[in-house]
Amino acid sequence: MTKSKPQVKIVNCETGEEIVRDATAAEIAQIELDAVNDAARKTEAEAKAAQKAALLERLGITESEARLLLS
Amino acid sequence: MGGGPATAKTASYVLVAADAGTTVAMNAAGSTTITVNTGLFAAGDTVFIQNLGAGACTVTAGTATVATAGSLILPQNDAGILYFTSASAAIFYDYIQVGATSPLTTKGDIYVYGSSDTRLPVGSNDQILVADSSTATGLKWAAAASGGMTLISTTTLSGASVTLSSIPTTHKHLQLVILNCLQVDDGTRLGVRFNGDSNANRYYMWETFGSETNASYNADIVYISHYFDNGSPSTFNSVTTFWNYGDASVQKMASNCSLGKNWQTDTNFVAKNNMFLYNQTTAITSLVLTMNTGNFTSGTALLYGVS
Repeated sequence: MTKSKPQVKIVNCETGEEIVRDATAAEIAQIELDAVNDAARKTEAEAKAAQKAALLERLGITESEARLLLS
Repeated sequence: MGGGPATAKTASYVLVAADAGTTVAMNAAGSTTITVNTGLFAAGDTVFIQNLGAGACTVTAGTATVATAGSLILPQNDAGILYFTSASAAIFYDYIQVGATSPLTTKGDIYVYGSSDTRLPVGSNDQILVADSSTATGLKWAAAASGGMTLISTTTLSGASVTLSSIPTTHKHLQLVILNCLQVDDGTRLGVRFNGDSNANRYYMWETFGSETNASYNADIVYISHYFDNGSPSTFNSVTTFWNYGDASVQKMASNCSLGKNWQTDTNFVAKNNMFLYNQTTAITSLVLTMNTGNFTSGTALLYGVS
């Protein structure tokens, strides 16, 4: 079974014409690159969120209480 | 009223000493003048001036001064008394001041002033009154400037990306509203590229308000959402404003706010504000919407022009 190509939609805002077609090779490459680039950012964001949660737990306060302290 | 014998004039006339205590009756089809010179009259002298003709008669200061609280221009059937306060100065008491005679003739006319009181004919339906120093009255009727928001396109989100192309640059700003966006992959986020530009180091995404930062232009895309939940029904919504998007002389900026469920704890909501910088000056004529990975399931993109 072959994997289907991603589809892209292009809307002409002047005419309202919509075209849905298979992504080109360049577009597929960009989609793959976006996924790779953002994976690192997401990992970083997740790590930061985990650190924050751990810190709040250690301090025994909630996020809103932490905000109150800093306001 | 007035007094003394009347002398009929049919052409412009210069008052003489013998006119004191008499009536000067102008009667001409065209415009005329009655000129007042010094050294002919004494304080307390009067001349009654009337205009019987169709042409306006203007009391004109020659070598004497002539003051008035009304008008020195007498339309047909107007009149007034010229009263001398000295041999070189007179006051003209206009009987029917122009201000007392409405020039209005048509429903909606307004009474205005240019070099004299006059009417400004009513404009067309829905026109507004605009100051314009180039017109005789300093005013004109004009179409109201269009303002507010114009819906440019409504697009259902699907596939791996949606490109809004051929965006007219006739508006001042663009506003992109994302409604009920849902994606296939959980914990992904929605990005936007200006003019489809995916070159490195063109974008900067600023997530902290009220702070100063060195825009490092470290991205090839900006994200208008957090990593949000893909549980149905969707709760993700976002509004992004692209300022001066059609101005090809300035770098582009955008502001964004969004709200949606957290993908890790989907009982929690995440509210975000972002500012975006794009270091290119090209007018924005297309926007590419894409998830960082995977496809859209559903949602609507509304693009508005703001004027």
